[in-house]
Amino acid sequence: MMKLQTKLALFNLLSKLVFSALFIGFLPLIIERINVRQTDKELVNKREEVIGLISEVGIEPFIHSDTAAGFGSYNILKEEYISLERSSTDDEWNYIDITQRIIDDEVIDYRVLHYSLKIDGESYLLEIGMSLASITYAARNIRNVILIFLGLFILVTLLSDLTYTAQILRPLRKITSRLRKTSFSSFDVTEPLVTSTEDFARLDRALREMMKKISELFSKEKEITVNISHELMTPVSVLRSRLENMLLNGNTDPATEAGIEESLRTLHRLKVLVNSMLMIARLESHQYLKEESVGICDIVKEVTGELEPIAEDGKVTVTLTCETNFTMKNANRSLLFSMLYNVVNNAVQHTPEGGMVDIHCGENSGRFEVSVSDTGKGMSPEHLDRLFTRFSTRPDKSGNGTGIGLAITKSIADFHDIAIRVLSEPGKGTQFFFFFPLNSL
Amino acid sequence: MNVLIVEDEKSLANEIALFLKRENFLCEMAHTGREASEKIAVNLYDFVLLDLGLPDYNGLDLIREAKKNNSDVSFIIITARGAVEDRVKGLDLGADDYLPKPFALAELHARIMAVTRRKFRISSPDIALGDFVMKTDSRKLMYGQKEVELTRKEFDLLYYLAINRNKVLTRHQLYEHIWGNTLDDQYDSNFIDVHIKNIRKKLNAHAPAPWLETARGVGYRISTDNQ
Repeated sequence: MMKLQTKLALFNLLSKLVFSALFIGFLPLIIERINVRQTDKELVNKREEVIGLISEVGIEPFIHSDTAAGFGSYNILKEEYISLERSSTDDEWNYIDITQRIIDDEVIDYRVLHYSLKIDGESYLLEIGMSLASITYAARNIRNVILIFLGLFILVTLLSDLTYTAQILRPLRKITSRLRKTSFSSFDVTEPLVTSTEDFARLDRALREMMKKISELFSKEKEITVNISHELMTPVSVLRSRLENMLLNGNTDPATEAGIEESLRTLHRLKVLVNSMLMIARLESHQYLKEESVGICDIVKEVTGELEPIAEDGKVTVTLTCETNFTMKNANRSLLFSMLYNVVNNAVQHTPEGGMVDIHCGENSGRFEVSVSDTGKGMSPEHLDRLFTRFSTRPDKSGNGTGIGLAITKSIADFHDIAIRVLSEPGKGTQFFFFFPLNSL
Repeated sequence: MNVLIVEDEKSLANEIALFLKRENFLCEMAHTGREASEKIAVNLYDFVLLDLGLPDYNGLDLIREAKKNNSDVSFIIITARGAVEDRVKGLDLGADDYLPKPFALAELHARIMAVTRRKFRISSPDIALGDFVMKTDSRKLMYGQKEVELTRKEFDLLYYLAINRNKVLTRHQLYEHIWGNTLDDQYDSNFIDVHIKNIRKKLNAHAPAPWLETARGVGYRISTDNQ
C-alpha cells in the first residue's frame, strides 16, 4: 500500500525521468543538427567574404597565373582551413559535405564547403573547411549544461510536487481523521470541509450524509429501546409495588404470603427477561459507555470474592492465579464484571460437591487471557453449539436462571472485542477462555 | 418528611404513597409535569420522587427549574426508560439518586434514608438488635465490647433488614439490594440463604439471635416487636 501523495510524486518523477532520458538520448542528434546548420551558415558567410575579397583585389594575390599551385591556409590549431585552386573542369560546385583530411599525419574530419568560381574564363575551386572536433566539443559542453539543468529541474519539481500534493491532499487526510474519530457514541455530523477541490467537497458531502443517516438510525434504535423499556416496565413496576404492599400489610395468612412471593418471583423473571433483551439490544447498538480503564485481575478477584460463600456452601474449591494484571482501556467496568461473574457463577453452580473451579489470568502468546475451568458435568457438543443462543438453556429445577445469561456474556464480550472459546467434555468439565484484544496489551 | 411523588402512572403513585405513609411520610402526588412544577414552586418538600417519562414534560427540566430557584429539595429519579444517559444526566443535574423501575419499595425507603443522612449530615442512630448493637456510622456490629466480624455484604444485608425491620423482605429484594440490577439474571435464591446462614453462624457464636426470623416461603425479617 502506498500513499496517494507518494504515488503522485512517483508518477511525476517517473514521467520526468522518461522525458529527460528521451531528451538526453536525442540530444547529440539535435545538437549536431543545430551545430551543422550553424557551421554551414558560417561557411557560407566566409565564402561570401572570400568572394568579396577576390572581387576587390582580384584573384592574383591568391593564385599565381604561371604556377598551378593554388592557395591554401590553415589556422594554427587546424580548426579551419581555406583553399583556392584552379579547377580543370567546368562543373559547377556548390555543396557542403564532410571530408577527411590528413594534416601532419593526423586525420581530421572537416565540414567542407565546395564552391566553384569563374573568373576571367578560368574555373576555380574554393574550399572552406571547419574541423568537426571543435563542433563536437561545443556540443558536449552544451550537453553537460543541459544535463545539469535537467537534474536540477527534476529535483526542484520533485520537491515542489511533494509539497503541493501534500497541500492539495490535506482535506483527504482531514476527512480520514474525522472518520476515524467517530465512534458509536459520537456521530458528529460536523460542519462542511473547507476545500477548493470539488472532488473532496463531494466526498465530504456524501460522507456527512451517510453519517447523518447512521446517526438517525442509531437514535431511532435508542428511542425504541427506551420506549419498549418504558412501556413494559411501568406496568411491571405497578404490579410489583402493589404485591409488595400486600406483603407488607402483614395481615395475610402464610399461604397467601407465599403466593404473593411467588408472583413477585415470576414478575422478577419477566423483568429480567425484558431487561436482558434490552441490554443485548443496547450492547449491539453500542449504547453503553466505554470510558473506563479496568484492571481485569481486580475484577476477577472481586467476582471470586462474591462467590466464595456460595462455593464454600456447595463445597466447591475455587482457586485463582493471576500471573499478570492487565488494564483494559475503553471498557465498561460493570459490564465486564457481569460478563466474568456470569461465567464463574455458572461454573460454581454446575460443579458438584468436592469439585474444583480454577481461574487463571495471564499472558498467552502475546494476548491476555482469562480461563475458567470447572470439574462439572460438562456439555455435549450439541449443547455447546447452542450455548450462546438466547433461551437455549432451560431454567434449572429451582427456577433460577433465564437462559439468557450466556447470551449477555457473549454480547458484552463482543462489545469489548473480547473473543470467547469454550471447551467441554461431558462428565469431565468445561473450560471458558476469554481472549482480550491484542492491541490493548 | 414531605414527599412529592411525580408519576403519571396513577396506580404506581398510589402504591408508593401507601407505602411511604405507612413509614410516616407526608405524601403528595403530581401526575403531570406542569402540576409538579407548580407544586415544587409553591410548597416545601424534602423529597421529590421523579419519574422522567412524563407526558408533558422532560422530567430533567423539573430538576433544572428547582436548582435555578435554589430549592433545597432532594430528587430521586425513578424511571422505566432505562436509557444509560438518563442516569448520568440526572445525577449531573444534581439528582440525589436514581432508581430504575421496577424497584422494591424497601429499596426506595433505604435510598431515601441514605440521601437524608447525606443531606443533613446526621449520624444515623445505632440500631439495637437483641443483645447486639448495629453501629451504623462505623458499619460495625457489636456484641457488648466485642465486634462480630461480618463481611461487607453480610453487613449490608443485615443493615438493609434492620432499616426495614418488622417487614418481610423477599430473597429477591435482598439480592437486588446487594447485587444491584446488573446481575439480575444471575439471581439464585440460594445466595441469600447462604449469606443468612453465615450471618446466623457468626451471631450464634456470641448469643442467640431470635430476632433474625425466617418467613417461610417468603424471605427474612428482623423483628423488634417482642423486645
